[in-house]
Amino acid sequence: MRAATWAGVDEVSVETVPDPAILNDRDVILKVSRTTTCGSDLHLLGGYVPAMRAGDVLGHEFMGEVVEVGPGVRDRRVGDRVVVNSFIACGNCWYCRQELYSLCDNGNPNPGITEGLWGQSPGGCFGYSHAMGGFAGSHAEYVRVPYADVGSFVVPEEVGDDRALFASDAVSTGWMGADLAGTKPGDTVAVWGAGGVGQMAARAAMLLGAEQVVVIDRLTERLEQVRRHVGAEVVDYSTTDVMAELRERTGGRGPDVCIEAVGMEAHSTGVQGVYDQVKQQLRLQTDRPSAVREAIMACRKGGSVFVLGVFAGPVDKFPLGAAMNKGLTLRGAQVHGQRYMPRILGHMARGELTTEHLATHVMPLEDAPRGYRMFKDKEDGCVRAVFLPHG
Amino acid sequence: MDIDHLIGRATALAGDAGTALLKQLQHVRVPGAGQASATDPPEVAARRWRAVTVLREPADVDAAGLPAPLAALGDRIEVRTTPAPGDRGTELAARYRGTPGEDEIGDLRAALREAKALLEVGEVLRVDPQPHGTRAATPQGAALEGAAKAAPRAGVL
Repeated sequence: MRAATWAGVDEVSVETVPDPAILNDRDVILKVSRTTTCGSDLHLLGGYVPAMRAGDVLGHEFMGEVVEVGPGVRDRRVGDRVVVNSFIACGNCWYCRQELYSLCDNGNPNPGITEGLWGQSPGGCFGYSHAMGGFAGSHAEYVRVPYADVGSFVVPEEVGDDRALFASDAVSTGWMGADLAGTKPGDTVAVWGAGGVGQMAARAAMLLGAEQVVVIDRLTERLEQVRRHVGAEVVDYSTTDVMAELRERTGGRGPDVCIEAVGMEAHSTGVQGVYDQVKQQLRLQTDRPSAVREAIMACRKGGSVFVLGVFAGPVDKFPLGAAMNKGLTLRGAQVHGQRYMPRILGHMARGELTTEHLATHVMPLEDAPRGYRMFKDKEDGCVRAVFLPHG
Repeated sequence: MDIDHLIGRATALAGDAGTALLKQLQHVRVPGAGQASATDPPEVAARRWRAVTVLREPADVDAAGLPAPLAALGDRIEVRTTPAPGDRGTELAARYRGTPGEDEIGDLRAALREAKALLEVGEVLRVDPQPHGTRAATPQGAALEGAAKAAPRAGVL
């Protein structure tokens, strides 16, 4: 089959690879209909997650049709149109029973790498390096889906592919951030990052009852999407003092909930941005945490900060004093999507959650190198490149 | 010695280096991310109980009917099971009767993880073979392959 692979730093190659096979009883094989780039892929492309082997198949946000079912699969049938969560979870361990699916104890066959880095291992993820299990990704004609009864969800007939696709990761990640940060009716929520995840965190906060939602970015096309399709307020950090703006919009309190949806390659203005860039390029720190710092400083006393962006290692100049003295709740996670996807598909079916606008550039899988280039450089207003493996 | 042989030798050495690097990862203390406490001397670390918590009733995790991966280690190990607090299932712990080397500890880590998977899921999740683009072997790729191959037996367990 054809697949888009990581070929080296900033190199994507479409090539012929072996077809996937059922390896465990609870696997299905999916014929991929749509698969999209995600901002976290850029950390792989840029070499910031140094556990990719040239030839590894990329992609973790996808949907398709079940074409083969393992003997231990109960609920999926050949022909089902499903959307699949990006994290691989067994559904049986204590973490899964707590609905903390991305922390599954039985989802990562390579736990030694992440245990060494972080003390414990989270679950596995499609197409996200050997540290996260070494599973082949979804930018391919077919993909193996382990624990398919737990991680795949039948898409309601009334939800089209262009909408359902983003339930896989962007919407479920955003929803998780808004929910686990404790968003309540009447809250003010600020979201750093107007990519797919940030936009969906904002929309989820609104559906959870937030009274005021503000999204912060510097890219005008994305901020315009937030206004038109999400219905939230926006702040352009390249022209506005974000801290002052948020204080002014919240009667001096600061947002109740601050959601960071940027990750380890955050851009920022001024000395801080230069400092983080230099330290990261010299490998003196692995991650650029400027949006996290700002979220902590902006958050109201006793508020909540949720880190949705992907980080890998220690960070520098972390405002722990502010977090402690302001009594903040600080939380983060990879996506526990299985917890939210049925509800999200319901909102999508009722037209309360739309995502079609995120797919700014839809193209054949053969064009994946171009798609990633556009996505990385934000060329032509690219928010997400969506690949069609079967045309 | 021709160039292909040299590259092949370098690749093999890199694979071994990747494995060795991962084995040492849990001992690395990155400045700013280190630990406050002392580290165990190797002989103390080797004798510690290594444990997984299994979401099954203690009766299901009966030491007399050990899952195959632990049973395969025979009487070289001792095993204990303890009810975990807060409805978390059962703590399944094992250690060697003697003083094991690093490879034997790796065997025990893998056996405990596989035993947990068998008890909770009924099978051990596999990842190979996966669809993958073919490339000529390189030292960097071999180092990563070595680390990934060692990963099921490595870590802090």
